[in-house]
Amino acid sequence: MEVIGDLMAVVTPVFICVAIGLLWGKLNKPFDTDIITSLVYTVGAPCLIIATFAKVKISSAALAELALAGLLCYAAFAVIGALVLKAARLEIADYLPSLMFPLTGSMGLPVCLFALGEPGLALALVYFMLGTLGTFTVGAAIAAGRVSLKEIARTPAVYAVFVAVYMVVAEVQTPQWIVNTTALLGGTVIPMQLIALGRSLMALRFAGVGRSTALGLLRLAMGVAVGWGVAAGLGLTGAARAVVILQSAMPVAVSSYLFAQLYGRKPEEVAGMVLISTAVSFLTLPLLLYFVLHAG
Amino acid sequence: MLADIAAVIAPIFVCAGIGMAWIWSGKAFNTEMVTEISFNLGIPCIIFSTLTRLTVSTEAFAEMAVIYAIATLGFLTLGAIVLKLAGLPLTTFLPGQGFCNNGNMGLPLSLFAFGEQGLAYAISTFVISSIGSFTVGMGIYSGRPSWGLVWRNPIIYGLLLTLVFMLSGTKPPQWLSNTTQILGGVAIPMMLISLGVAMARLKIAGFGRALFLSVLRIGGGFAIGLAIAEIAGLHGAARGVLLMQSAMPVAVNNYLLAQRFNRNPSEVAGTVVVSTALSFATLPLLLYFVLG
Repeated sequence: MEVIGDLMAVVTPVFICVAIGLLWGKLNKPFDTDIITSLVYTVGAPCLIIATFAKVKISSAALAELALAGLLCYAAFAVIGALVLKAARLEIADYLPSLMFPLTGSMGLPVCLFALGEPGLALALVYFMLGTLGTFTVGAAIAAGRVSLKEIARTPAVYAVFVAVYMVVAEVQTPQWIVNTTALLGGTVIPMQLIALGRSLMALRFAGVGRSTALGLLRLAMGVAVGWGVAAGLGLTGAARAVVILQSAMPVAVSSYLFAQLYGRKPEEVAGMVLISTAVSFLTLPLLLYFVLHAG
Repeated sequence: MLADIAAVIAPIFVCAGIGMAWIWSGKAFNTEMVTEISFNLGIPCIIFSTLTRLTVSTEAFAEMAVIYAIATLGFLTLGAIVLKLAGLPLTTFLPGQGFCNNGNMGLPLSLFAFGEQGLAYAISTFVISSIGSFTVGMGIYSGRPSWGLVWRNPIIYGLLLTLVFMLSGTKPPQWLSNTTQILGGVAIPMMLISLGVAMARLKIAGFGRALFLSVLRIGGGFAIGLAIAEIAGLHGAARGVLLMQSAMPVAVNNYLLAQRFNRNPSEVAGTVVVSTALSFATLPLLLYFVLG
């Protein structure tokens, strides 16, 4: 019973916020995704990164360890994804970015926060930051054949990453006014991202159900397997192990859809992957949490 | 001391500054959406999540509500007298004297000055002022009392659900605490950014009159708050929160209501903008007094 209560405490906030997003759309209440995305990415996310690393004391070694684990996971996703797509004779540029970069922000961050507390959030942010950098560099290179340096330079979260790394390495004592301000603004990120996720799930038009289902399920299965393997291979324990497995097992990111749309890479099929993998992960997430947190 | 004051004020300046910069840089901003989100989701959730963590007793919470209701009557009485003497229309300016920025400015100030306990007290005053604004305030603007709207205010539902847990002494289940905690986190920053947006967008009229009424709002409010704190023998966080909430600038909501009932909205906008600007200057002094 207690285990169920614990699992509920982790997954329910995610479900409810996504449901609010869906309901918001159904009720035709005003929602401007562009403004929310802009607020979250230019203001909220950098603040969340700085606030979390100001509050949670994590060592440079722990930071480096998680960054290494994250890089290995993303590399494994790329290799496995490319091999499967080749074998299935599918265009790598169409599908690989969606298989590589999971929903580590809007879904991964709250799951890790509620499952593991603020230290878990800090580690989850490391994995998320790598994904953000990867999406704009490797992801763009695969989908568009070029790296969008301009986009990277215009993403404030990237600068926040460097600030956060500096804070950890130099063991900076952050002034209270910065902590308070960034904590306040960073607090908008998780709920607004989840509501926006629900809102965009409703607005997605998708096609190619069979292929989307197969690739969506590949994302989840490959995620769990790689996360587990990397955590075991590096001998990770505790929160680091849980974060690597959970973040790796997240569904296809909504940003993949926006990317596919931007570069004309079969957006409807990517939308199908997003919907199916998110829906399935709502079912598999409690099980995964149980195994990661309670069953050794 | 300076660092303490900065820690309380910086979040307000920065968030409101982001709202202003947003508009000045020509970016689109949907106030209606942001208001809907903070009003319907954020505020009920922050009320629930703060109060069920039981940082103040139900008695202390209720006592603060009664005290702030008395203070609000004081603001309205003083306002009515001064406006009558100055020959200014009560239907345009009185609600702004009674109902000030207890939400978007008062909540974060109280939180950062006095922690979760301060936030709980501030919510108590905010509930009174929000209900008051939608009943008495709207009644003054429209010319007839409007009690029916109380039930359309989501704050009431947040509060009722909270009272169920507070009065029965049960702890809400963890999933509900977690959910309301993250959704409640939206309220304050969104409200502050909208405040900045309103500051940048409002077209104001009657600067001299607005300045006079702003001084009355902040100075008169502070005097009344101080007197009541002395009489009620308040100390610590309760006293600090009452003083700060009494000396807040004119609430933005007054402008929206004045617009709706066509009561010189640009003059009311003038009192909102000028009193908010004035409060940016008085806040450090106020905090020095309250924290010192």
